[in-house]
Amino acid sequence: MKTVKLEVFGPEPPCVRCQAVKKNAEEATKKLKQKGIDVILSKQKINSRQTVSKYGVLVSPALAINDVIRFMGRIPSPDEIEKEILKTI
Amino acid sequence: MEFNRIIRTIILVIFIGVIFYLLIDSRIRAYSLAPTLTQADMSGLVWYEIPVHYMWDYALHGWICLLFAFVLAGLFYEFVPKEFLTKYMSSKKASGYLIGIIMAPFFTVCSCTMVPIFGSIMYAGAGIGPAITFLLMAPAANILSVVVTGEMIGWDIAIIRILVSIVTALVAGIFISRTSWGKSIEKKFSSESSKNIKGKVELVKPQIDERLWSSIKFSGFLAKKILPYFILGLIAVSYVQAYLPEDVVAVYLTGITGILLASVIGGPLYTPTLVEIALGKVLLTLGMSKAALLSWLMGQPYDIPNMVAVSRIVKWKVVINYAIIALFSSIFFGMLYGIFLGII
Repeated sequence: MKTVKLEVFGPEPPCVRCQAVKKNAEEATKKLKQKGIDVILSKQKINSRQTVSKYGVLVSPALAINDVIRFMGRIPSPDEIEKEILKTI
Repeated sequence: MEFNRIIRTIILVIFIGVIFYLLIDSRIRAYSLAPTLTQADMSGLVWYEIPVHYMWDYALHGWICLLFAFVLAGLFYEFVPKEFLTKYMSSKKASGYLIGIIMAPFFTVCSCTMVPIFGSIMYAGAGIGPAITFLLMAPAANILSVVVTGEMIGWDIAIIRILVSIVTALVAGIFISRTSWGKSIEKKFSSESSKNIKGKVELVKPQIDERLWSSIKFSGFLAKKILPYFILGLIAVSYVQAYLPEDVVAVYLTGITGILLASVIGGPLYTPTLVEIALGKVLLTLGMSKAALLSWLMGQPYDIPNMVAVSRIVKWKVVINYAIIALFSSIFFGMLYGIFLGII
């Protein structure tokens, strides 16, 4: 089984648009599971030392696939997220 | 599939084009986008009729301006290259100030997005100066409020508002970065920058129709967030328009008193919902001086919710200092504008 790391970045407390991204990411995760791809989804704080030293200044909401920021400042649909994850494999 | 994309792009471009056309058309025909009711018109109305009439007047005149402002804000937010911020806000150079000033107005969002970016800039090591500049610039001169100010009140005030916000944001940023406590906060954020795995930023470039659609969705998101408060605010504004005597405005909101009062109450009363523009417009028609109006509109950086949110990231000392700088600058530029206009 292949595994992919998916990180959603948003402020604490979470904003509406970041929650929308997280929901779409969860949906994509479910679909990919049926295709035999294991997605490890996590929510990261966007303005933490860890995030900034790794990626720099991000605009919320942001989404990273395997340590690469792919979406920033917009809400990708579950299909879009799924498509991008499939590309990385 | 490709055909559908082209059709969708055309429909979206036409939609945006029509909105731009409406605005230009209103200009050509000299149709006022600001409400036109005066106190005299409203004097015969019963108390509960006042907001209804006022809002109807707003709906007739203001909708083009509001629609245009929201669509433009959405377009800018979508098409402004956000990677730019990641790339250039991470190093400690003077260019950080420039990027802060140029980029901030396009992020037409409330403090819930601005404040995390402020925190991130601190961690990124760009220094406290550019971070403060960015923070103060964003609410003071964002696309949405500049367009609404320009169309409802006047483009002279809107342009002065941008220029004055740049100066204020720069002065506050440079001043705080020079102080010893400012430097010590900066050190606390930049030290022990862990050199762990470096991530990359390679954004997916979506098709043009998807980008246009997501920009309109963002306009909708902004409208959904701002308009309910704006409408509530208008109810209050309608009573000000109907009942506030012009003598009171003439005494308290003109001359030097007017500037001082407008600066002091402009901040705490500020709501990031365009209500301050509607109220400013009403006070102007009731006789507030233009200089006091400028001070009034400059009050944003020290509104209270914003200050509380920022104080969770940096010390209160920083917050109080930039608030004081912003307050003095709103008084100073109000006075300057008053002298320039020859009314003080």
